[in-house]
Parts: sequence; structure tokens; C-alpha cells
Amino acid sequence: MRCEECSDKLDRYVDRELNDTEALQVQLHLEGCPDCMDHYEFEAHLKRLVKHSCDCDTAPKAFREKLRQILS
Amino acid sequence: MAEPAAQTAFAEEAMTHLDTLYRGALRLTHDPDQAQDLVQEAYLRALRYQHSYQAGTNMKAWLFAIMRNLFWDRFKGSRKEDVSLDDLGEFVLFEKLRDEGARPEADVLDKIAASEVVSAVDKLPPLHREVVLLVDVEGFSYKDAADTLGVPIGTVMSRLHRARQQLQKSLYDYAVESGIVRPGGMKQVPQT
Ligand SMILES: [Zn+2]
Repeated sequence: MRCEECSDKLDRYVDRELNDTEALQVQLHLEGCPDCMDHYEFEAHLKRLVKHSCDCDTAPKAFREKLRQILS
Repeated sequence: MAEPAAQTAFAEEAMTHLDTLYRGALRLTHDPDQAQDLVQEAYLRALRYQHSYQAGTNMKAWLFAIMRNLFWDRFKGSRKEDVSLDDLGEFVLFEKLRDEGARPEADVLDKIAASEVVSAVDKLPPLHREVVLLVDVEGFSYKDAADTLGVPIGTVMSRLHRARQQLQKSLYDYAVESGIVRPGGMKQVPQT
């Protein structure tokens, strides 16, 4: 696999959307290519950052209770 | 009407997805009160239409679909005008940082506050924002995101791609404004 193809598949690799064969091809390329590995780690890091930044918002307790009453 | 016991079990399972729905509603409306209204309405609707939910399928996705459809009906009118993103060309933050000599590139990410990331997400047009919420924040598969949004998987992928580029551009602009990154500043000055 060339770096270009690896780069094209990186999003889907990070999102775990490639089939097993494709994922293995990307993984093998990453293991032998420090540049693409750095890129992969960056994208994975950014995805985690987006998740954890937005994750902190949870439903307020009072709202949860109110909803529980309404639904029961 | 469902049996009371079945109804309770349904409501209980539905409540386990409250944080996901609330977060989604908050990011879509940008307003805690509107988010609560929207989520409450979604739950009432879900209860009313629980016969249309197939047990064993993805309840989180089903509930999210109800909530976001209500959002579009209520706040945006039923017509989903697709606010287009500025055409950035290909913007890849990693490459941009690498070109500017910021290494390791991920150090820049560690310096960006969570609130800045949230505001970058909030700046995305809603049709792009909701894909990021589903796939990146809630961990939906492309298929589940496509089913939730009622679009083909290809649309999920293209919106996600555009959304990520826009998000990376916003984070880059913030990093430059706040001095985390100095464009060109890290390059070696050639010795004469
Ligand atoms: Zn490579």
C-alpha cells in the first residue's frame, strides 16, 4: 500500500469502518511507515479530543427526575 | 397500548440513553432550556410510538432520530436547507502543522481547551454537526448514523469528511490566534 492510499483510508480506519482485509493492509502499512503512523495517531487523538470535550455535558439531575416522573 | 410492565421496561431502557439525547439536543439548539424541551418531547413521542420500535434493534439510534427530527421540524422548519460549508479545499490539520514544523503535531492538540473544541463543533452547520455528534461523540457506526439521519452511508461519509476539515480549520485558526502555533515561526531561518 502506498502512503496516498493509506491516507485515503485513514478516516475509515480511525472510525473502524474498514473490512478486516483493508484494516490489516492499513495496519501493516502503518507499522512500516512512521509518517503515516504519526498521522494516524494524530487523527485518533483528535477524535478522542472531540469526544471527551463534548462528553462532559450530561442531563441535569432535576431534569432527569422530572422526566422519570412524566414517563412513569 | 402496551402492558404496564412492558411500558415501564421500555421507559427504563429509554432513560439509559438520556445523556446522549440531551448532549445531542444541547449541541443542536445551543440552549439548555430548549434542549430539555426537545428531549422531553422526544421521550413523550417515543412512548407514544413505542409499538414502532423493534425490540433488540438500536434504541439509542431510534431515540436520537426522533429527537433530531423534532429539532428540524421545530427549529428549522421541515425544509432542511443545507447550509453549505465554505469550500476550504483540502485542509488537513496534521499536514498543516507538520509543514510549520510543530512536532510532535499532537502536542498542539493537548494545548487546546475542551471549550474551544466544543465551540468549533458548535460552529459547524447543523447537518454537519449532527454527523460529528453521532460518529465522533456517541461512537455510532456509519450505518447507524445513516439510519438515524435517513441518508445513505455515502452522505454520512462526505458530511463527516467536510465537517472534520472545517473543524480542523477552526482549531487551527484558534491555535494561531492564541499563539499555540506561529505560522512560519517555527521554521529554521537559513544561515547566510
Ligand atoms: Zn505511509
